[in-house]
Amino acid sequence: MSKKSMWTLKLSTAAIALIPAAIGINYLGKLFAGLLKLPLWLDSIGTVLASMLAGPIIGALSGIINNVIFGLTVDPISTVYAITSGAIGLVVGVMAYKGWLKSIKTAIVIGLVVGLVAAVVSTPLNIIFWGGQTGNVWGDAFYAFLVSNNFPVWLASFGDSIVVDVPDKVATVIVSYLIFRGLPKNFISIFRGSDKIEEL
Amino acid sequence: MSTMTLYVDKKSFIHHVAPLTKLLYVMVSIAITYIIPKLEFVLFVTLTSLLILAIGKVFRKILPILALSILLIISIIIVQGFFHPENQTVLYSIGFITFYKEGLTFAALLTLRVLNMIMSFGILILTTKHDELVEDLIKKGMSPKIGYVLLSVLQLIPQMRATMGKITDAQRSRGMETEGNLLVRVKAFFPLIVPVVLNSLHNTRERAIALEVRGFNTKMKKTFLNLSKEYQYTKTIQSILWAILIVTIAWRILS
Repeated sequence: MSKKSMWTLKLSTAAIALIPAAIGINYLGKLFAGLLKLPLWLDSIGTVLASMLAGPIIGALSGIINNVIFGLTVDPISTVYAITSGAIGLVVGVMAYKGWLKSIKTAIVIGLVVGLVAAVVSTPLNIIFWGGQTGNVWGDAFYAFLVSNNFPVWLASFGDSIVVDVPDKVATVIVSYLIFRGLPKNFISIFRGSDKIEEL
Repeated sequence: MSTMTLYVDKKSFIHHVAPLTKLLYVMVSIAITYIIPKLEFVLFVTLTSLLILAIGKVFRKILPILALSILLIISIIIVQGFFHPENQTVLYSIGFITFYKEGLTFAALLTLRVLNMIMSFGILILTTKHDELVEDLIKKGMSPKIGYVLLSVLQLIPQMRATMGKITDAQRSRGMETEGNLLVRVKAFFPLIVPVVLNSLHNTRERAIALEVRGFNTKMKKTFLNLSKEYQYTKTIQSILWAILIVTIAWRILS
């Protein structure tokens, strides 16, 4: 898709300016999901879109900075999950550049991979910081069920994360993909760091 | 211009401590509660954070931040109290519910850690202006571009929150339904989020051009608009914090 390597650290100004926008979209996605009482958070649409538009580095940065900012302004707990958000951006960015953004079916695959990666990254964090739970009612009920049936804590905690993360991330990636597909082409070319805007 | 901040403008000793010192306090106080997993010690650290909040005259402001995490704390107490794998000693039971000593001790430890984490963050965010924090970080060597991103997010979010009401009203007036069964509500999500995305991507392009013409990418050394403030006891407090961290690590290794 792009002639430049997706790992370039020479970020264009447009790509850097995309990060605050991505974080804002994350925030509004979460607000709208709350407003419509949807049973999901949908709070990483911006991160996922930024990764699709500008690659894994910008995606990961958006994810990490997103959680750091929310840690410093709203909810200190969210700082812990900065690594998870970074990983989400990274995975979506890499898969998008490898050509997994062809259809809704491949987008669902990205969503599943992202949910799995998010769970894998969150599990050690959950175990270290709060003994394996997530603070989500359904996930924690599942955790309690697994632990009381003598499953080891790490497996129960992983199950907890899976229940919480996979449906949310699949929905997030599908929504982001549908938006991405509808974007005007000139939007996409700016952030791919190809040429025009850099040489103003 | 409104920004997103929890900063409380008051006069106190804590307000005059350097932002980076407070950041160091956050990291050290969280780290030591995990290095030494003893209930009494963690309680002591948590009470210290509480005391600092009180000195900074921001104790009441931490309560809404704590309330956000109440679900996590309740879940920790219930789940660990009932289901902790090492549960043996029955502490007391109400009807068919039994609380075990091991689980509750562990839950108490976790809860205190969470409380300490939130309160030490509270010290930083309630008594520090974020632009001062970011400026100090840049002076310490953080990329000014990251600094720009951090500060601009804080200005952008209140703006976007203001457009949220506008978009919701506009789409409702076109007949969008925001209540009803799940399918109706899922369908309503798209007309709400798409204008936000298009709007912000459009603004991003304009902001990128504006930044470019102001020399955002120049390799020259950046100067600062604001004079750096004089802070009190920076060296002393920072050395004490580092010493505490080293002592706890040594204690952990030796015992």
